Amino acid sequence: MAEPDRPRPQAAASASPGFSGAEPTAAEAAEAPRSRLAEAVWASLPSALSVALSLLICLLMIAITKGSLSLAGNAYLEMLRGGLGDLETFGETGAWTQLTRPWGEAATKAAILTFTGLSVAVAYRAGLFNIGAQGQMTVGAITAAVLGAKLSLPFGLHAAVCVLGAAAAGGAYAVLPAVLKLRRGVHEVISTIMLNWIAISLVENWLVVGPLRATTTGNNSISGTDQILPTAVLPRLLSDGSRMHFGFILALLAAVATWVWLFRTRLGFETRAMGQNAEAARAAGIPSARRALQAMVLAGALAGVAGSVLVQGTEMRFPATLGAPYGFDGIAIALIGETHPLGVAASALLFGVLRAGGTRMQLLGVHKSFPELIQGLALLFVAGRLIWQWALTRRRKRAPAPAAAAPPSSAPPAVSTPGAAAAGGGA
Amino acid sequence: MAHPASPASARAAITPFVAVIPGIELESARLIQLSHITKVFGKVVALDDVSLDIQQGEMLALVGENGAGKSSLMNVLYGLYHPDQGELRIKGERVRLRGPKDAIARGIGMVHQHFMLVPTLTVAENVVLGREPTRRGLLDLARAQREVEATCQRFGFQLDATARISELTVGSQQKVEIVKALHRGAEVLILDEPTAVLTPQEADELFRVARGLAAEGKTVVLISHKLKEVLAFAQRICVMRRGKMVASVASKDTDARRLADLMICGEEGGAGARTLQATVEAPTAAPVEAAATVAAGAEPILRLDGVCAGPKLTGATLEVRPGEIVGIAGVDGNGQRELAEVVTGLRPAERGELRLAGKAGKLDPHEARHRGVSHVPEDRLLHAIVGPMRVDENVSLGRQQQPPFAKGPWIDFTGRRERTEALEEAYDVRPRDPSVPCGRLSGGNQQKVVFARELDAHPRLLVAVQPTRGLDIAAVAAVRRRLVEEKARGTGVLLVSLDLEEVLALSDRIYVMFEGKVVGERPRGADERELGALMLGGAAHG
Repeated sequence: MAEPDRPRPQAAASASPGFSGAEPTAAEAAEAPRSRLAEAVWASLPSALSVALSLLICLLMIAITKGSLSLAGNAYLEMLRGGLGDLETFGETGAWTQLTRPWGEAATKAAILTFTGLSVAVAYRAGLFNIGAQGQMTVGAITAAVLGAKLSLPFGLHAAVCVLGAAAAGGAYAVLPAVLKLRRGVHEVISTIMLNWIAISLVENWLVVGPLRATTTGNNSISGTDQILPTAVLPRLLSDGSRMHFGFILALLAAVATWVWLFRTRLGFETRAMGQNAEAARAAGIPSARRALQAMVLAGALAGVAGSVLVQGTEMRFPATLGAPYGFDGIAIALIGETHPLGVAASALLFGVLRAGGTRMQLLGVHKSFPELIQGLALLFVAGRLIWQWALTRRRKRAPAPAAAAPPSSAPPAVSTPGAAAAGGGA
Repeated sequence: MAHPASPASARAAITPFVAVIPGIELESARLIQLSHITKVFGKVVALDDVSLDIQQGEMLALVGENGAGKSSLMNVLYGLYHPDQGELRIKGERVRLRGPKDAIARGIGMVHQHFMLVPTLTVAENVVLGREPTRRGLLDLARAQREVEATCQRFGFQLDATARISELTVGSQQKVEIVKALHRGAEVLILDEPTAVLTPQEADELFRVARGLAAEGKTVVLISHKLKEVLAFAQRICVMRRGKMVASVASKDTDARRLADLMICGEEGGAGARTLQATVEAPTAAPVEAAATVAAGAEPILRLDGVCAGPKLTGATLEVRPGEIVGIAGVDGNGQRELAEVVTGLRPAERGELRLAGKAGKLDPHEARHRGVSHVPEDRLLHAIVGPMRVDENVSLGRQQQPPFAKGPWIDFTGRRERTEALEEAYDVRPRDPSVPCGRLSGGNQQKVVFARELDAHPRLLVAVQPTRGLDIAAVAAVRRRLVEEKARGTGVLLVSLDLEEVLALSDRIYVMFEGKVVGERPRGADERELGALMLGGAAHG
């Protein structure tokens, strides 16, 4: 109803169907659709800037604590060498392992982060906040470890069964909060957090140290469960020096498949519509409860596969503990990746590289947890950007409203579900 | 005074009115002076060099289309907006209002269209809210009650100070708002579209109260676009158009026709005004001839028999036949919304029989759409549109599983875009770009998208709730035309509106709802007063 948009009856009457579309006004031409690539770059810019800003801040923090900017710069270089490969040494020696080993480390971490990030992102797109990726991953990991150790199947099939089993277990574990939400209205944030602790306590504090504890041979005391059989191991992709394994390919495939599902199929469309405006989706006849359940099961399954990738790719057993809070990291990865499946893969890859390289920073006496700090700061800036953007779009929305809508009632508040806020950033 | 406003001409227009109060010096009569106020929001100039003087004890009306700037101007006066240019004088003193608090302190009170009342608190509690009398640091409710009763008595309001807001009618709630403003010492009372949600009887009562206040020396400013009530109430009428003050006339010197011309064209008798007038009047004329399209023995597309749902809908019996518009009249909150939700499957019917398209049985939104129901809900952004999604995505909503929006399990991007482009063309959605997020469109264009989508499904029953709410005159005319066209196509239309004039103008039959029940049925051309009485629960027969 803003002035420029007001339809004028004369204009409407003279507009013949064939013609008026071909003469865009100046305002329309100015907002002509950009190319898809430009759009994607534009959409990912805020996240990229957030990451860049956090990298800069961490650089300064290292420089301040160590009292030397050049040392901080060198630490970053070491981090890159650790994550992307030591090009100089490779140039001197020609040893491929100088490249493949860091790649492998980065890829294994990226694979797990991609799966947990996708788990959070899928739920988020459906309007649910899945804090439970850690628990679902734990359940998936123990399932993969048990199936890998106890079953006897041919090579390939065995690994696949373990991955699918982990997915099923993670998905099943996510059904609980979904049903609690849909039937009883229990908020999924609360229930998934609590189910995390249940899963971790059950698996790490009981199963792994109790019934499923590895059978010891001789005097060796082994922590964790039995080692999985060689047939269940995800095959290595590069030379023996690198731990790059098939899980990385799986992660990339999962990201693409999730993207196709969300953005190319009508089921994904219904899920996104529900996530952004549940009421409008319901009014359009979308079975919201079923879509929410489906999204949550898929989220759980993705987190479950993260566990199986860890077990079948790196640990070869369920270790005493999962080691890193990959499930919680998934929240950061998902939000930095704008909850877009491909964005999630990109941010997982970046932080996989940084984390794999973080260990090498220790060579210069810099603590290896700096990559986590970078990730935390980046999340903070991304979240801050959402607030910032929200404030901006609100200003823009409110501005014409007084002129446009005389009765205050006719300007309902902008849709403010968490999904909508994220979509504002993700779209 | 027919000429587009320069401040000089606006002032010249005022002069004759001032002249009719002899003996009062010009300056002292001016309680409030708004001079050369300009307010810009982004690209939109909401107020463009607007000047307005308001006299003590005057009954002034501010009219204009939605978006003309009436509310913006009053929001400047109430301290909600800070003008970019121009100055505000109250009693000759130049003031800068930092917020409504400042405005209230200077004796300006505003009653918004949607009430700012806490439903669970009593009248007295609501009135004193924010400035509660205390005794030894504790809320002194007894004193609050005494004070509020005193205020009510002084200005002649019949209100029980101990009643809870939730138990009051809309008309009484509005009185509470007025009492609240007066209790805070308001000398100037701004009423923003006060009759939009009232029955004719309640509106009469409101104007009686307002006249009483003016007689006591209070100044009343009425914002409205209902010309009839403006002419009946105000002494002076200021017309705004596109952010400018185009005229200021004494109400005895004008009539509805001339005011409409001023609102739409900025001058009297413009050619554009005639065109628009024709489109505005068209829907009123069309139903008469189209009424014949209702086949006498046609099977009703919708039949409700004693349908109950929740506490708000306690017994709806009605039917809608193909090719007729059935209006539901009623005061806000008497079960109309729930009725629309039941028919569209959003709310399950608990008792009674609901037959839709000849079939009974459980109804959910999917099933309702399947049987040919389209729904234009009251709150677009909440129930019809996914704001962050693109226009073409929103157009596919509801039929996202069918061609041309889907091919098997996949989204048909080409089909979706082509259909959306065609609909944008047919419904004149601006801009013509299927990829804009729907939330970025103006309200009128959003409503066009909703109508385009819902009518493109070729419904057998169209449920439209408040379909013209918040739209400007041209958009209102377009929406009404669509409804009449749909009816001519043989669609049954269930029109729920709080605007009795709209119901009367469009409906072939009217049902009146009161406290969750259908309490009466009236044919086309029923008496407004009689309907009003039914809406208030009186004379429930037929």
